[in-house]
Amino acid sequence: MVKFDRKNEALTTEQKLFSGVLLLNAKVVGLAFGIILALGIFVATNWLIIKGGDRVGPHLILLSQYFIGYRVTFVGSLIGAAYGFTLGTICGALMGWIYNKIVAFRQ
Amino acid sequence: MKEKPVVVIGAGPAGLAAAYEFICRGISPLILERGGMVGGISRTESYKGYNLDIGGHRFFTKNDEINQLWEKMLGPDFLKVNRLSRIYYKGKFFNYPLRPVNAFFNLGPLESLLVLISYCRARLSPQPEEKSFEEWVINRFGARLYRTFFKTYTEKVWGIPCSEIRADWAAQRIRGLSLLVAVANALFGGQQAKSLIELFSYPKLGPGMMWQRFTEHIVTGGGELMLHSEVSAIRHDHRRITAVEYTNNETRSEVSAEHYISSMPISRLVQLLKPQPPAEVLKSAEELTYRSFIIVVLIIDRQTLFPDQWLYVHSPKVQVGRIQNFKNWSRFMVPDQSKTSIGMEYFCNENDRTWKMADYELVEMASREMELMGFGPASLVVDSYVVRQAKAYPVYDATYKQKLLKIRNYLDDFHNLQTIGRNGMHRYNNMDHSMQTGILAAKNCCGEHHDLWAVNEEKSYLEEDRTVKEAPLVPEKVLIRAFARMDKFAFAVAVGTICGLLVFSATLWIISRGGDVLNSHLRLLGQYFIGYTVTVKGGFIAFGYSFFWGFLFGWLFAYLRNLFLAIYLYRIKRKAELLSLRDFFDNF
Repeated sequence: MVKFDRKNEALTTEQKLFSGVLLLNAKVVGLAFGIILALGIFVATNWLIIKGGDRVGPHLILLSQYFIGYRVTFVGSLIGAAYGFTLGTICGALMGWIYNKIVAFRQ
Repeated sequence: MKEKPVVVIGAGPAGLAAAYEFICRGISPLILERGGMVGGISRTESYKGYNLDIGGHRFFTKNDEINQLWEKMLGPDFLKVNRLSRIYYKGKFFNYPLRPVNAFFNLGPLESLLVLISYCRARLSPQPEEKSFEEWVINRFGARLYRTFFKTYTEKVWGIPCSEIRADWAAQRIRGLSLLVAVANALFGGQQAKSLIELFSYPKLGPGMMWQRFTEHIVTGGGELMLHSEVSAIRHDHRRITAVEYTNNETRSEVSAEHYISSMPISRLVQLLKPQPPAEVLKSAEELTYRSFIIVVLIIDRQTLFPDQWLYVHSPKVQVGRIQNFKNWSRFMVPDQSKTSIGMEYFCNENDRTWKMADYELVEMASREMELMGFGPASLVVDSYVVRQAKAYPVYDATYKQKLLKIRNYLDDFHNLQTIGRNGMHRYNNMDHSMQTGILAAKNCCGEHHDLWAVNEEKSYLEEDRTVKEAPLVPEKVLIRAFARMDKFAFAVAVGTICGLLVFSATLWIISRGGDVLNSHLRLLGQYFIGYTVTVKGGFIAFGYSFFWGFLFGWLFAYLRNLFLAIYLYRIKRKAELLSLRDFFDNF
């Protein structure tokens, strides 16, 4: 998930431990975010389906305004998960990329 | 003159390990031992069936070869013992490492408060340079805790003020205190490390049992052990040792060999060389010093006295430095379970006032101090025995390094001589280190090339640290990566930007889809983002708001992440320091 910025090889390992700045691996962060968001939507949708009731997921269905084809059904949960994965991956990767750029700029 | 392939001087752990290695390789060594029994300082003496361990020897090693050897020698007679050793101070028993609740109740609220203030002061304004043991401890525990727990005991052991104990001496004892190792230990090896610290092995009848088994194997394998054989001269031709002269039962004999391995004190070895070494080498040898100790064994008419294997006595009121309770090491050390035998250890210099005290005076002093410490009246002592152990610990004084180097440089010229063991190398080798030097020396005689002085030099000294350091489980760079500091600003900007973009995009998406935009649920955001509407302008406003909150959240996340990691690292470091200090005391 992370890469270490090896700025000064002459430092001792303990100094490195305290002086090093974390660099994010944008791809891995993106993947992590994508998986989490996909799982979140999948579980949230199926939880409402299992709970059942007169109107299933009146609020969650609003996601369909952004995720075209999404419904509060099992198939919908798979579609939502795919959207979630895509969105999460893009956001995570972008966040990692921005973070790394700023760290590089500040150093 | 006898001729042997190898002569080993000294039948301590190092000498016996060397001899055993020779036997394994089909070579029959001659071992010359000055004393009447094997084991050196880790021998087990016996008095009326009460076994006495001279100084208390835990069997602990991370060296697999040594460990297997120990197990092989003793098998089921190699007991596993749960360690308990505490500090005795002002009539109270303190856990070691110190535990806050235990220390608080024992010290009392006022003293605890003063200790805390002193500790905080030391942490806030530590002494910039740690040149002495005193400074090292004060910087970590505060002056008050140092005076309470560390000063008296250390000075009892070494007989010199802590402020005069040099930094390199302290450094060797605390060497290997690597934060990375401590972190790895805490993350992946905690349980193992704990078990290694809290549990040790011990021969059923004391350490001497181990050395006796070694001896049996050596003698059965064709080796020759000569007890009461004191080396009186070591002859050489400036390049090689040619013969060793020794006295056995007042009979003087000589033996020559291809190889000579010596575990006798290196200073004595130099003095016995014939022809004599240069004056400066002799002078260096004379100036190497050692600390000795006396064990006054008291047999007490009580079934139990205290549950510890040994106690560190930090109390300045009594002269005793450490008390061994032999039956707590192994119940087989005591023939009569209704009695307890304790070893009151007095650290001293050879021929000083304590050393010269008559046995009855020592017994009187020990009995009196036992009573003073509250372990029962002196009348409970039914029998006693005194053991004097000279040259127990090599002293690392201000100039020992230069002196030792001079001696080493001189001895290096003798191609068939190697020195091994604690006194043979004037180094704080534990039993496993000593044995390792013996084994490597034997291997060198068989054509291998090992640097004996590298043993116990490169590797981490701390027992728990060795566990992890030797394991390739956690590469150092992985730990450094995992614990690197997160850039708060960069993370805050990144999170803020993503949040802003998400809300901005969502707004534009709704607008671009058209329809009843005003009824979109997204407008509910206006309840939090004042001025927000589902319009392009509103999208920018939402971006600003989201960026702000995202920035705040990101900064806080990074800050807390760094803070908790720092606290975690700090705790690990402190724990490692405490453990290192226990190791420090344990190896006296």
